[in-house]
Amino acid sequence: MADDPDNSVPAEPEKMFTLKRWNCVCFWNWDVECDVCAICRVQVMDSCLRCQADNKRDVMGRQDCVVVWGECNHSFHHCCMSLWVKQNNRCPLCQQEWSIQRMGK
Amino acid sequence: MSTPARRRLMRDFKRLQEDPPTGVSGAPTDNNIMIWNAVIFGPHDTPFEDGTFKLTIEFTEEYPNKPPTVRFVSKVFHPNVYADGGICLDILQNRWSPTYDVSAILTSIQSLLSDPNPNSPANSTAAQLYKENRREYEKRVKACVEQSFID
Repeated sequence: MADDPDNSVPAEPEKMFTLKRWNCVCFWNWDVECDVCAICRVQVMDSCLRCQADNKRDVMGRQDCVVVWGECNHSFHHCCMSLWVKQNNRCPLCQQEWSIQRMGK
Repeated sequence: MSTPARRRLMRDFKRLQEDPPTGVSGAPTDNNIMIWNAVIFGPHDTPFEDGTFKLTIEFTEEYPNKPPTVRFVSKVFHPNVYADGGICLDILQNRWSPTYDVSAILTSIQSLLSDPNPNSPANSTAAQLYKENRREYEKRVKACVEQSFID
């Protein structure tokens, strides 16, 4: 029996390939609704058209174009909205009286 | 120089090309993005059907915070269109919103053709005929449809 070659420990199968390096790639996106500002038509998470043209930055070198949410839950660039409310203090999307719920990024 | 108004108009043009609404078309003039030419095709099942009505749209640097001036170049017999082609439409005046773009403006004018508002007339003859003598109104509209092919 000991001579039976079939009963011996099977030989390691020949390696097809060796993994020498493995580069991981991750994709991510904001876990928020990425709305488009209905006034300038640029995503609210990016700078508005006006700030893009002026290439505005704050002291830290960050773009300081923030987002503003109304009580009606509609969001716009603060820059775009502050120009509009000067002539009509209503949400341009639902015509409700405009009042700021929060501001930020 | 590219101003915010001009950049917004570039976006309007892109949207108009990528997602063209049925029955309207428009484009900036060759050398000035602030002046556009547009065409509205008369809506089906209305006396305006088959008409090709040309318009000009003039924007200012305050766009989109201020509406553009929109005017028919073709003769249009309609209760809310003035003799000089000016259009009486609330969203182009006191009900303007900076969220409107060229596509929205043109489709609103197109629906104004189907649904005139005879209670705020810009053309009192058209308003009166629309209310009191629909057959004559449609005859006068058909005449301007024919005219729209030539001019």
